Amino acid sequence: MISFQLNGEKVEAHVPDDMPLLWVIRDHFKMKGSKFGCGMGLCGACSMMVDGQSTRTCILPVSAVANKSITTIEGLSVGEQLSQLQQAWVEDSVPQCGYCQSGQLISATALLKQNANPSDAEIDQAMSGNICRCGTYPRIKQAIKKVASNRQASVEIFDPTLNKTHNTTEEASA
Amino acid sequence: MNILKTPSTSSELNSSRREFLKKLGIVGGGLIMAVPLSACASSYPYAKNEKGQAQLQANAYLQITQNNEIHFYMGRSEMGQGTYTGLTTLIAEELDVLPSDITVHHATAHEAFTNTEYGMQATGGSTSMKISYLPMRQAAANTKAVIKQAAAKALNLEANTLTTDAGHIIVGNKKVPYGEFVELAATLNAPENAPLKNKSQFKYIGKDAPRLDGLAKSNGSAQFGIDVDFPGLYRAALLRCPVARGTVKSVNDKDALAMTGVKKVVTICNGVAVIADNYWQAKQALTKLKVEWELPETLAGFSSDTGKQLFVDALNSDDYEVASEEGDGIAALENASNTLSADYWAPYLAHATMEPLNCTVKIENDHMDVWVGSQSPGIAQGLAAFYGDIDKNNVRIHSTFLGGGFGRRSASDFVGEAAAIAKESGLAIQLVWSREDDTRHDLYRPAAMARFNVGLDKQGNIESWVVRRVGPNIMSYTIDEAVDAMAPEFLPNAMVDWMSKRGYGIFDGLSVDHSSVEGLYEDYAAPHKEVQHVTVDPGLPCGFWRSVGHSFSGFFKESMMDEIAHSQQQDPVAYRLKHTKENKRLSNVIKLAAEKTNWNARKNNNNGKRHLGFAAHTSFLASVAQVADVSIENGQIKVHKVTCVIDCGSLVNPDIVKAQMESGIIFGLTAALYGDITLKDGAVQQSNFHDYPILRMHEAPEIEVHIIKSDEAPTGVGEPGTPPIAAAVANAVFAINGKRLRSLPLKLS
Repeated sequence: MISFQLNGEKVEAHVPDDMPLLWVIRDHFKMKGSKFGCGMGLCGACSMMVDGQSTRTCILPVSAVANKSITTIEGLSVGEQLSQLQQAWVEDSVPQCGYCQSGQLISATALLKQNANPSDAEIDQAMSGNICRCGTYPRIKQAIKKVASNRQASVEIFDPTLNKTHNTTEEASA
Repeated sequence: MNILKTPSTSSELNSSRREFLKKLGIVGGGLIMAVPLSACASSYPYAKNEKGQAQLQANAYLQITQNNEIHFYMGRSEMGQGTYTGLTTLIAEELDVLPSDITVHHATAHEAFTNTEYGMQATGGSTSMKISYLPMRQAAANTKAVIKQAAAKALNLEANTLTTDAGHIIVGNKKVPYGEFVELAATLNAPENAPLKNKSQFKYIGKDAPRLDGLAKSNGSAQFGIDVDFPGLYRAALLRCPVARGTVKSVNDKDALAMTGVKKVVTICNGVAVIADNYWQAKQALTKLKVEWELPETLAGFSSDTGKQLFVDALNSDDYEVASEEGDGIAALENASNTLSADYWAPYLAHATMEPLNCTVKIENDHMDVWVGSQSPGIAQGLAAFYGDIDKNNVRIHSTFLGGGFGRRSASDFVGEAAAIAKESGLAIQLVWSREDDTRHDLYRPAAMARFNVGLDKQGNIESWVVRRVGPNIMSYTIDEAVDAMAPEFLPNAMVDWMSKRGYGIFDGLSVDHSSVEGLYEDYAAPHKEVQHVTVDPGLPCGFWRSVGHSFSGFFKESMMDEIAHSQQQDPVAYRLKHTKENKRLSNVIKLAAEKTNWNARKNNNNGKRHLGFAAHTSFLASVAQVADVSIENGQIKVHKVTCVIDCGSLVNPDIVKAQMESGIIFGLTAALYGDITLKDGAVQQSNFHDYPILRMHEAPEIEVHIIKSDEAPTGVGEPGTPPIAAAVANAVFAINGKRLRSLPLKLS
């Protein structure tokens, strides 16, 4: 048995130690937002945040995340409340087929947590592990920059009713 | 306009309206309108049924319930191109409802959802908007009109005193939901030709608005085929012969069966499937199978390094077919004052959709349920029936979002496999392809070689344009599948119409598959033209790949135009304009692209490292010009910026047009810089993204899109952005170092 934090809640799973985290999340926990793309950690469709780092989970044995904190695409929003990046994704019509976008959003979220105002080159670097076959890169970059610059301009507001690690307020303070 | 409550037009509706609607996936009551998508009344919307009676052919359905819910049953597939938003916008406009208030359903497979362009239910060829623009609006306008009639009757007022707003009838300062009147409306005769809004009245059409599927695709809730799940569903992985169309000679499944979670191992026509509790188990057990294969002889004898000679031989052969002729190209070539010749090459390419192919099948009581993201639900249904050995009428397709299509999901090979596995195993299964399966068992963009022989007059203008294309044809593979799928009794007349309308050579040697030569000769004026074709086909399955024949012909033709212009010391833009005097759509995009990039000032700038390359191409009725701003950095081609101009007629959502240009360019850049599927003894050598790379963010250029204002009918935009880009980059490389790159992918050494 293995236990870890999944989108802010402690979970346990009776699965083989070497089962990749992606399939534990998709087939055991039945959360389908994280996608299978290549099975070799090359495309980023399976990206989840492991302790805040965007990580390729199709090759990550579940045993490696024991007691760690996992955030999937489902954990980026709180109920109906989208994160700022998700909001920008919708407003700027970033997705096309949409299949890679869960992974893109995870990598973008992890980037802004670590670097509130990334340069173009830093965005390129952080996002280069995520392939989009529809070619939504220009819009992904635009949406990331929009959120980064809005945060620079906005006043941080803390909402004490939201206490999950993945809430939007915490993101804003990152 | 036909309201399904008054079943006067269709025998099928007469006999069982409820059953009919159920088959379409439409439940609940209210006003249900059929949307026939055809401007051509002689063949549509009325088609003949098997008894020779006229039968309503509708292509989408619109339902307004008493609760004022608005449902749109969309016959087309959403694979990223924006159809979901575009078609819904048309309805919202004329029905006068908010686009976001319309619930969109992916339609099941049914002949009711036939694509009038193809005579079957298919999404491709950039046709959805082209065929839907007026009919979809008309249907919505008629629907609004009959609701107004009903409201007038109910309220005892004149219909022309009523107005509408956002799904409500406005009576003085009172707003009444449409839903209040739908029961009454369903008993009235709707007008056939309610007036449409004029352009100045548009609230939504022609305006930028966020995609309607953007939210579901940003919070992980959008359902793709691979996300389908239910209790009792097993996962299957399939081991196929490394050489396409090889078959199983013998299987040893002992070790695979011993693996944890494995339920069954079954052999189907093209491979051996492992069925397990979850995909990871199935995938692991697959490596334990020991299978001997019966190899297909021709393909197994083909390797790319030596096999290219077959293409070269065909270029030099006297045995060819003439695909198109204007004047006398050969004679004019002999009489030309100057001639130019060049050979070009484009390799096989895989689609590499981000969502690996998958299909879920459940068979119960002689009925089959199929969940799949497909560009051709009709073919999917036919193939599932064939391989599942079930009456096609008992096969129900549940459509999902497509995680990329690009033509790959117009084929249904993976649906046939899933049906066969479900039938053999007796289990509900979801077949999931690995990335390796996807790369090695695609229906590839055909490889192609072309030779241009161009004759010039004394002024250096094109007098004769002779081009020969050598390579495999797509249609022999795709027709094969469609016909196999539809046993003779199911082969619809429309399918035959489609084949003949497209003029494809269904039988080898009868005529040239148009998709093999499209785009090689149409754009530029010349008094004499001849297009020749020689089929060379090693036997690797081929299929539709974003922009089809234009994907290679755009590169060939636009590189050749650049060659000719330079050989005559003429400006490539001016030279193109000289040959597009009668082609306004194309010349307009060329002019604007030159203007937006400051072409005349920049073209001779040989000091800087960055140079411009120009290309323009018409495909699927849209003309696109692209200017690539390129440098060579550390021996690598670096594309800094692409400026793109498109004329696609009227616009429904300009931002989606822009997005499709960005998408087509980046898709085309992957092919220009990396794409290369090669074979060794008939087996594809590439396997995953390390050896079949896809452009990543740090390699993607800045893209600037300009759209020509037009009131002409809209064209599609999913494909036309792809064809010009490889030539634009290659032409820029020529501007930098004087090297003419005539092979894809572009390599500097």
